[in-house]
Amino acid sequence: MDRPLYLGIDLGTTNSAACVFDGEQLQSVRGSGGETLTPSVVRIDARGNIVVGTRAHRFLQKDPENTRAEFKRLMGSKNPQRFAAANLEKTPEELAAQILMSLQKDVEAQLGVKPERAVIAVPALFELPQIKATSEAARLAGFTRIETIQEPVASALASGWSAEECRGAWLVYDLGGGTFDASLLETQEGLLRIIGHDGDNFLGGRDFDLAIVDWLIARIAETAGIKIERSNPAHASAVAKLKVCAEEAKIELSRTASETSIVIEALKVGSSELDLLEQPLSRTDLEAITAPLIERSVKVCERLLRAHGIKQLERIVLVGGPTMMPAVRARLEQSLGAPFGSGLDPMLLVSQGAALFAATAALDARGAAPTAAATGPRVWLQYPAMTPDTSPYVVGRALEPADKVQALRFTRNDEQWQSEWFTLETDGSFAGMLSLKRRGASTFRVETKAADESVTGANPSEITIVHGVSIGEPPLARTIGVARADNAVAVYFERGAPLPIRKSFTLKTVENVSAGADYALRVPIVQGDFPFAHLCRLVGVIQIPSSSLKATLPAGSLVELTLEVDRGGALSAKACLPAQNLVFDHVEQLLAPQTSPEKMAELVHELAQRAATLRGNAFRDGQRSALVTLSDFEATIESVRRDLDAARGGDQDAAEKARRSLIDCDGMLGDLEAANAWPELSARVYEAHTRTMYWLERHGTDPERRALAQAMETVERSMRARNPREIERQLKQMSSIRVTAYLRDPQAWEWELESIADRVQDSTDPIKAQNLLRRGRAAQAAGNRRDVEKAVRELWTLLPAQSDERSLSYNSGVR
Amino acid sequence: MKHPSDLLDNPFLVLDIPASATRIEVERAGQKLLAQLAVRVASVMTYRTPGGVQTRDEDKVRAALSALRDPEHRVLHELWANLPPSDEEEESEQPIASWPSAFRSLGWRRPCRE
Repeated sequence: MDRPLYLGIDLGTTNSAACVFDGEQLQSVRGSGGETLTPSVVRIDARGNIVVGTRAHRFLQKDPENTRAEFKRLMGSKNPQRFAAANLEKTPEELAAQILMSLQKDVEAQLGVKPERAVIAVPALFELPQIKATSEAARLAGFTRIETIQEPVASALASGWSAEECRGAWLVYDLGGGTFDASLLETQEGLLRIIGHDGDNFLGGRDFDLAIVDWLIARIAETAGIKIERSNPAHASAVAKLKVCAEEAKIELSRTASETSIVIEALKVGSSELDLLEQPLSRTDLEAITAPLIERSVKVCERLLRAHGIKQLERIVLVGGPTMMPAVRARLEQSLGAPFGSGLDPMLLVSQGAALFAATAALDARGAAPTAAATGPRVWLQYPAMTPDTSPYVVGRALEPADKVQALRFTRNDEQWQSEWFTLETDGSFAGMLSLKRRGASTFRVETKAADESVTGANPSEITIVHGVSIGEPPLARTIGVARADNAVAVYFERGAPLPIRKSFTLKTVENVSAGADYALRVPIVQGDFPFAHLCRLVGVIQIPSSSLKATLPAGSLVELTLEVDRGGALSAKACLPAQNLVFDHVEQLLAPQTSPEKMAELVHELAQRAATLRGNAFRDGQRSALVTLSDFEATIESVRRDLDAARGGDQDAAEKARRSLIDCDGMLGDLEAANAWPELSARVYEAHTRTMYWLERHGTDPERRALAQAMETVERSMRARNPREIERQLKQMSSIRVTAYLRDPQAWEWELESIADRVQDSTDPIKAQNLLRRGRAAQAAGNRRDVEKAVRELWTLLPAQSDERSLSYNSGVR
Repeated sequence: MKHPSDLLDNPFLVLDIPASATRIEVERAGQKLLAQLAVRVASVMTYRTPGGVQTRDEDKVRAALSALRDPEHRVLHELWANLPPSDEEEESEQPIASWPSAFRSLGWRRPCRE
């Protein structure tokens, strides 16, 4: 049988690469010029001819109007890229598809097989719309099936595959063209585990280039008196030209030279033109220009190590072009004090890891992989394509009558191992253990034994299993939940949950929806690690249009929601209204939202005012850590201002970056504001603990007492770390423990009925609420506690949601 | 007593392994069960717990594997898997478990009671 062919693709911001794995060896795919990297650049000329990669890259400086790069960061957004000469527009997905097609052709030229399936690496912090856009690009390129893997996981797999077992934690420092990911990992018994990750979705080599561009703009203004503005659309072409030169200079200084000269010819800036500019740039200059960016990445690493209590790293694996810069390596060594992994190519590690993951997922690039001619009895076999276990199970079932197959036997192709006969159970299934060669592919010949003891080959006649470092299922990058009408997030899938994942749960509507009206009840699905919906990213909405309803849907109606995320990170959802026997399964998949630069400038102003108040408080109270956070905030907001300038000049990527950074800034100030309310928060913790203890003493169970003790331990830790977000989470936990115990009190439902009685006039359906109240009181008089409970539970669903909270929660119609 | 999902969906019960299983034994058990569920082996579609028989599916097995891969989560599940009976449970009389030997296999001294 042919060896398997697993394809991994690193669809990078600046460069892309492909790698194949045959179960034993990793092999990088080379382009027609022998290069292993394909620049992620697409050019379309006046006649509509499309050129990709190195040939297109040459035109970045000469013809920026018709040449596009760095579209990866715009994936999933509604930002068509214009090609002036051909007078057409292409979406970021269509451009990414061109890169994928080019890599597909390179694989075909090198290996004689047109790949149909692949694993594509995506940044760890990509959200669902961006992952979906990547899948769409692959579909446009002609791939029939793809899976995605997070870039740091891919790098880790590749470095783990080639390394000996490492006892402690190690860090993958992945500074790509557009994104930065830091991942803490460990391998034990061949199984790779991601301890945690952090990153910056908008820090990459491109930002280094733009820092050099800003420096160049200042030099040009000084020496030639020409003012170039990144915010001026008329200067976009000059800025693009400077950027190409900046990138070349950075690469040269990263390799050998200690000084280089940036030569720019015929730079046209509005009505002025600069014939020739020769600007020397030393490595020392470069280090000074990029130091704040390097520092930003180091801070992310330190934060990650701190969050997981890691004091010493075993080693650091470097990934991405910018890690070739000596300044990056020196700063990391100084700060983290661990050796760098040797013999690993930072530019190819991601594609290698993606290829290894394709093996784990049994995703043979050839589609229906050709099998050796097999004529024996058919059997259905299940086994891991790649495993860290040297003794994995093969499980199966005969697809022939019992007399044709009574047992199966597996013989390893090196003839060094043979299984016993695995006898079929009465239901036709069997399970048996195999023995693999370490660190490589083992192929087994499959034989069957019939009732008459005759032995023949099976169909399939062979199976192949690779032994090596492996990762279980791909982890979910960010928490997914449903935004509730009170702006809280009902979390359904935690970050790190193994994919695929599916869950069903029940929600309740917060308002009456009349059948046939021009309205739709919204169930917003959000992604993010914040407890408030408005700080999370809206990634999909299920709409329940009133036109589809059979009758009026009263407030408090049940909505059964099923959410599913597949291995590739695609979200699907289904909402069912049991009362009307209706199912809604159309999820409006959202594009990245767009906000105008003017609107964002207003937000910057608002945030700056909030920061000023916080700074005053921090100085007054001597809060050092708050001042450090505020200084980080200042640096971020300054970069947002620069990005807004660039956005006004037509840089859509900068606009997207500004929008995301503003959300982070809002979260940063929100945490400080919560920390400022520290005395109130401490008092709330004290009160919550006392009240919970009170009810647990009366009606609690041992697991609940243990859960409370654990919550208090976490609160104490969070108090020391001044982490209000975690304290809020624990307060919620305490509240749920308390309520559970309280509701065991024989009088609890009667007290609840009285407390709700004052609010029935404000309910969404006052008549129904009055009836329920009457019914509850009658049940109370009759001593029927169960009916009192029933009435109260129904009354709860009729309480109105606050309108300001609803608007923050993307107008959620459920709780 | 209503059994908490921490106990009913305890990963050690889902994977049918002792709380002392090594990491590779956990992976092996998970891989075997996933394969058996894929070829629809009826005997693995349910598993026993102190709270009665539960349905086993691929999602549960994957979640169990994921939980036991993380040492911090695993410690908590070991706690549940080895939970000794509480005083309140000792005073009670109605056993509800359908599988008494499960308690012994998990290190319990006597059956869980309502």
